[in-house]
Amino acid sequence: MISLTHYLVVSAILFCIGLYVVLVKRNAIQILIGIEMMLNAAILNLVAFGQFDRHNNGGQMFALFAIVLAAATTAVALAIVLNVYRRYKTIDPDKVDQLKD
Amino acid sequence: MAYHALAAVLLPLLAFVINCFIKGKATGWVSTIAILLSAVISIIVFSHTFNGGAIHLSRVWFTIGDTQLYAGLLLNNLSILMLLLVNLIALPVHIFSMAYMGHDQRYGRYFTCLSLFCFSMLALVVVDNMVLFYTFWELVGFSSYLLIGFWYKKEKAIQANKKAFIMNRIGDVGLLIAILVIYAQFHTFDLVKLFGQGGLVSQSFFKDGLWIAPGASIPAIWQYIACGGIFLAVCAKSAQFPLHTWLPDAMEGPTSVSALIHAATMVAAGIFLLGRVYPMFNTAELDALAFIGCFTAFMAATIALTQNDLKRILAFSTISQLGFMVMAMGINAYASSLFHLVTHAFFKCLLFLVAGVVIHEMQHVKDENQLDIDPQNILYMGGLRKRMPLTFIAAIIGGAALVGLPLTSGYLSKDGILIQAFEWSDTKSIGYKIVPIMMLITSWLTAFYVARLIFKVFFGKLRVLDVKPVVICHISDGGWQYRVPLILLSLCCLFPVFSLDPLLYEQSWLFKAFTTADHLERMNIYHTIIPAGLNILSIAVIYLAYAIYIQERKMLPFAQNNWAFDFSYNQWYFNKAYNTIFVKPVLALGSGLFWFDRKVVDGFIRLLQNILLWLSKVADVMDRYVIDGFLHLLTAIVQYIGNFVRSFQTGRVQYYLLSMLAVIVAWFIFKTLI
Repeated sequence: MISLTHYLVVSAILFCIGLYVVLVKRNAIQILIGIEMMLNAAILNLVAFGQFDRHNNGGQMFALFAIVLAAATTAVALAIVLNVYRRYKTIDPDKVDQLKD
Repeated sequence: MAYHALAAVLLPLLAFVINCFIKGKATGWVSTIAILLSAVISIIVFSHTFNGGAIHLSRVWFTIGDTQLYAGLLLNNLSILMLLLVNLIALPVHIFSMAYMGHDQRYGRYFTCLSLFCFSMLALVVVDNMVLFYTFWELVGFSSYLLIGFWYKKEKAIQANKKAFIMNRIGDVGLLIAILVIYAQFHTFDLVKLFGQGGLVSQSFFKDGLWIAPGASIPAIWQYIACGGIFLAVCAKSAQFPLHTWLPDAMEGPTSVSALIHAATMVAAGIFLLGRVYPMFNTAELDALAFIGCFTAFMAATIALTQNDLKRILAFSTISQLGFMVMAMGINAYASSLFHLVTHAFFKCLLFLVAGVVIHEMQHVKDENQLDIDPQNILYMGGLRKRMPLTFIAAIIGGAALVGLPLTSGYLSKDGILIQAFEWSDTKSIGYKIVPIMMLITSWLTAFYVARLIFKVFFGKLRVLDVKPVVICHISDGGWQYRVPLILLSLCCLFPVFSLDPLLYEQSWLFKAFTTADHLERMNIYHTIIPAGLNILSIAVIYLAYAIYIQERKMLPFAQNNWAFDFSYNQWYFNKAYNTIFVKPVLALGSGLFWFDRKVVDGFIRLLQNILLWLSKVADVMDRYVIDGFLHLLTAIVQYIGNFVRSFQTGRVQYYLLSMLAVIVAWFIFKTLI
């Protein structure tokens, strides 16, 4: 049957892919997508463990909150990316390295 | 009376001190008035104490250990006579100097030095112990040095005063040795105790090669050393052979200085010393004195024959007459020697003042006509008797006294010496006859050169006209300051001052004061032959000089250009000899030491210097490469580490995230592995 482990593995793979996207991509939007993907992995993990709390549905509730927060985060992040683009005329994070030594 | 004498001595010192602070013509008056008062006091002292007993006052001056040194006055006949003499010579010289040095810029300094000299000479003749004697002996030499080099801008004057001082110094060393030997033997410095009647020196004698004295005895050689020291001192101060060469050069000073110091007083100090320490000499030493004096007299007279400088002729004449005095001391003619000292002082001072007037006038001729002549050279003078009659008469009187013609004071003293020389040589072996014979010859030479001098200067025609025919000549006798001293001194050159009998020296009061009683009785044939022969031949010699120089007959027995003339003209080559033997080696030693100092001593210093520089370079290298290198190494390490660590701060966000991830993974692996 499909056990908990299957869900966790999928969530882990999703997380790693999201991490990979954050670390490698040269476009800030794509990094946001990666972040989203990592968030989604976490949400999947939450839902997977929610089957053990049928009484309060804590897992499901937390997942809903997380989805909302993900959306809010993305909104703010996009605002930041917009400002970055206005300032640096690029959204390649490698090019925004003014904090280097 | 002793305090009067002290006052007479101290007055010139007071004048010296006052003159140090004031300038201008007042200094001349201060000095002259001081000397005038001193002379008056000396006359008073003389009239009260001459031929009275000796006065001796002394006080303790200071004490060293057990020895006490005294300071005091001794006024015996010798002191009082010299006191009076010095004052009576100094007074005309001061009056003369006021006019002679009137246009000199350093007039004030001149009278300061002159007063210092007068003080030292007066003090020298009255002190009573050897220490003070030595002090004033040196001070006299020093004042002479100041005055010879008075015109210090003239190179020759500086050389002359250096020479005079050095030669006098040699004499001072001799005197010091003598004083020390005498003290070591007799343990006292007092002149009365040592040399008075029955004093310690006359009680001492020789025995078995020892010099025995009351209380001590030392090897006899020391007596000879002491006398040698005294001889050296006398030779230096009184310009005897071999230390006589300073006196002709000392004529570079002003003529009035030459008149006072180098004719009458300072050079007489040597004879005075002989007079003071007379009991010290034994027969051999006295004979040595006689020979030295005789030789010097003869030598100087031969040199004076050919000199052309007026003052030099007089300088050599002084050396010659001092030789007479030294010789007289040597033949036991103590009284005659002192008599000659006094008469010589007067006539030599007179002759020098005459020379001063003549030179002064010739200097005027030179300045007014811009001639290039030497105003002291007699070859340019002549015929001055018509223009300077008073000076001419003074010169005649002085010259006659120098030659020793009858009716002058010089006759009394000089003939006395010669007669006693013959008597003395009779008591010795035949070889000693050479002394009186040489003295006779010297006297005739004296007559010749004096006559030559007077004829060349005062007779004939004025030879400067041969140089420049039209010459403005304002030659005259000069003011009262030139005439009065000449008159005063001329009067003292005549016989009445010294003896009422013009022909017998034994009747002179001066002679009687110094001689011991029974000497007067021995009249023998010499007392008539010598004066007669001497003076007749002197007059013949004077006529010979007249013939040669005035009438210009070729009667000169010697040619002008043979070796004898050159020998005489070059002063017997003494100056050249001393220059080669003494001066050049000392200068060579000096240059040698200078070379040594520069090359060796400085070279050594430079070597040390180079070593230090090399060491400092080594230290520099060490400092720069080793020490600083170490610091640079440290900083390089720090820089490397810093650069390494900085390289992690790339500013790239994804890189930061990657490193965070790496750390967390490593952490987990680490946790599971252990």
